[in-house]
Amino acid sequence: MTPTTPSLRPLSCCKALLRQTGLQKPAARSMTTYFNKPQAAFHKKLMRQEEPRKVIKVIAPPPSTRKVYKEPLKDVTEAQLAILDPTGSRTNLFSKTNTDAAKVGDILLVRLKNGDPFAGVCINIRRRGIDTGILLRNELTRVGVEMWFKIYSPNVEGVEVVQRKEKRARRARLTYMRKPKHDIGSVQNIVLAYQKSRGAIRGRADDGPVGHENKGGKRKVKGKK
Amino acid sequence: MIQLKTMLNCIDNSGAAVVECAKVMKMHRGAKIGDRIIVVVQKQRNFTDTGKGTSVGTSAANKVRRGDVRHAVVVRTAKKYQRPDGSVVKFDDNACVLINKAGEPIGTRLNGVVGVELRKMKWSKILSLAPMHL
Repeated sequence: MTPTTPSLRPLSCCKALLRQTGLQKPAARSMTTYFNKPQAAFHKKLMRQEEPRKVIKVIAPPPSTRKVYKEPLKDVTEAQLAILDPTGSRTNLFSKTNTDAAKVGDILLVRLKNGDPFAGVCINIRRRGIDTGILLRNELTRVGVEMWFKIYSPNVEGVEVVQRKEKRARRARLTYMRKPKHDIGSVQNIVLAYQKSRGAIRGRADDGPVGHENKGGKRKVKGKK
Repeated sequence: MIQLKTMLNCIDNSGAAVVECAKVMKMHRGAKIGDRIIVVVQKQRNFTDTGKGTSVGTSAANKVRRGDVRHAVVVRTAKKYQRPDGSVVKFDDNACVLINKAGEPIGTRLNGVVGVELRKMKWSKILSLAPMHL
C-alpha cells in the first residue's frame, strides 16, 4: 500500500476490528445449553395444560349512585317540597311562569303559626329551591323593619297578596325603597283596608263572626296618609 | 352588632336621647338584641317636648343627664338577626333601653318597636312595656 497521509481518523482501525468481532456474534447466538428432560410434575406445571383453570373471584362493582341519581339536588328539593308544599300552592304563588304570581313590589301579608302576622312591600325574592325567601319591608311605629321569610317554612301558615303593583317594577331587587324618597312607609292602612274588604266578603258568604280576622293593628287608623 | 363607639337611640323616657356604647357585657365583639351594654349618654332628651302620639315626656325623678354612664339593653339592631325558623329581622336603626345594675328599666314607658328576642333573654319587663314587638 502506498504510504498515506497521517490519518485524520485515529480510530479507523478499530472499525475493522469490530467488524471482525461482529462476525463472532452469530456464533455466540447459536450457543446452546444442554437440555435435561424435566420431571413429570414439574413438566406439568411448566406446560399448564392439564391443570384446571383457577377461577379468581371477581366481585361485581357496587351499583353506581351517579347513574341512578343524575340530579341529586333536584331530587332532594322535590322530596322536601312534597312534604312542605304538597298542593304546590306556595310554589305557584311565587312561580315565574304564573301570571298571577306575587312579584317584587307587591304588598304581601305573611301569617305565621307562632307570632304576629307581618305585612310589607316585597323588595326581594331570593330563589334557592327549598330555601326560597322573600324580603318584606314595613314601618312599625315609625321605624323601618325588614324581614326575610322562608316561604316553605312550616311556621309560615299563609302568604297573601294584599296589593299588586300596577306597573311591573323595573328591577328585580327594590333596595332603593330604603331611601326616604321611595319609602312607602307603613303598609298598615292598605292591609287594614284589604282585611276589611275580605271580612265583608266573608261576612256575606258565611254569615259568621265578622272582624275576627282584623288582628292587624293595635291602634286605630287616624287617617294617616 | 353594637360595639364600642356605636351610637344608639334610647327609646324610653329616662331622659337620654342618644347614647354611645362603651362596653359590651359579653365576651363578644358585638352586642345583639337582648344583650347588656354600658353606655354613655351623649344627648339629652328635650324635657319640654310634649309630642303627639308616640313620643313620651320624661318624669322629673329619674332624669339622666349628658355624660352619665349607665347600663342598657339592646332592643333593635340594624344588623340582621336570624331566628331559628329561618326568618331574619333587620331594623332601620340601633336602639336600647337604659336599665339599672339590677336589670330594671330606668324609664317608665317605651316608645317604638322592640325585638322579640328579649323574651328569650329574660327581659320580660321591657317586653311588656313595649308598645309593639316584632
